Amino acid sequence: MKGRVYKFAGVALVLYSLIYGLLTSIPELPIIEQSIRNLFYHVSMWFTMVAMMAASFGNAIGYLSKENLQRDIRSVCQAEVGMLFATLGLVTGMMWAKFTWGAWWTNDPKLNGSAITVLIYLAYFVLRNAMDDERKRARISAVYNIFAFVMMIVFIGILPRMTDSLHPGNGGNPGFNSYDLDNRLRLVFYPAVLGWIFIGTWIASLRYRLRKLQA
Amino acid sequence: MTQILPLIKRFFQQELRNSNALFSLGLYLIGITYLIYLLGGNNAADNTWNTLLWVVVFFAAVTQSSRSFELESSDYFYYYQTVAGPGPTIIAKLLFNASYMAVLALTTWMLFTFFYGNSVYDPGVFALGLLLGSIGFSVVLTLTNGIASRTAGNATLSTILAIPLMFPVLKLTSTINIQAMVGVSFEDVLPLLGALGALDIAIGLLAYLLFPYLWQD
Repeated sequence: MKGRVYKFAGVALVLYSLIYGLLTSIPELPIIEQSIRNLFYHVSMWFTMVAMMAASFGNAIGYLSKENLQRDIRSVCQAEVGMLFATLGLVTGMMWAKFTWGAWWTNDPKLNGSAITVLIYLAYFVLRNAMDDERKRARISAVYNIFAFVMMIVFIGILPRMTDSLHPGNGGNPGFNSYDLDNRLRLVFYPAVLGWIFIGTWIASLRYRLRKLQA
Repeated sequence: MTQILPLIKRFFQQELRNSNALFSLGLYLIGITYLIYLLGGNNAADNTWNTLLWVVVFFAAVTQSSRSFELESSDYFYYYQTVAGPGPTIIAKLLFNASYMAVLALTTWMLFTFFYGNSVYDPGVFALGLLLGSIGFSVVLTLTNGIASRTAGNATLSTILAIPLMFPVLKLTSTINIQAMVGVSFEDVLPLLGALGALDIAIGLLAYLLFPYLWQD
């Protein structure tokens, strides 16, 4: 029962955010209009992805210090789930961009950052497939994982702050940052992030058990 | 330090002795610059000029560093590690690659200026950006080459691993260079230069910490 609490909580929070996210009243703003609700569905994907990648990064460090193969399996499962959320984040973001900006893709620091993140982790999976020996694969991919995570944080977390962006939350664009201060949105957004992180953890733990059975 | 310097000297000697590789790299630089010239690169606007420069430097960097663990077989690398210890060996390798990269980048800039005329307003800032950029390049490439050399001889793997990791460095450097070309005041470029320098130090440190794990069996 103890281990299950977060799963129930995850389901409840995600359902709450999905349903209440459509019902709640929103600040009325030009251009963005109703699409502001994408804050609950799109931004939470990216938060979950970063959480999953951070967990994967933590397990990679754990592997290098303890040489425990379980850590390696956990690390790769979390990276896979992170990729799933990255894909969902890209898809939801592209749909939003089409309606708000009129294009599926724009040359924007945050969009470039997400594209690079996806490329980095695809390269990580390619690297893993290039090696057969379990321990060697675990060690070398952990080295890459650690380096890649730091680069990803630099690219999506630091560089966008140094350049202007169309993306909400940057520059002169009426951004989500100012809406974060709106309590109605906050009430749905934070539970959504937490709920999806729980769901992501759950998927990762299922994949971990599956991989252990296959090994 | 007493161990690092002889190693760097040794790496350079090895590179000079293997003049074939050096000449092919030089020929690549001259050939590609002239090719761009023929295709109309001399009329390029600032943005295009900068992009072309970085594409040329990027491929030179990939070519140069792809040999960084090939030239000396891994046995050699083990030998250096036993003689000098893993830390100094990696520092020497990083410094060697960084200085090599800086020379390549500066040569490319010279060739570009020679063929297409000078488009840079502030050469000091431009050179600084180029220098810091090539250091970042070489760190990323050295690490990914180290990784790739440990897998079963997959030549393209290093490039696949390096390209997305090089983006932060590339993006910062090209922004600095564009600003140097149009002549933004030094106070405005300084935060970017600082960020790039900090990034170089951070990834250098990270590579230094991670490298020993690549070579233990």
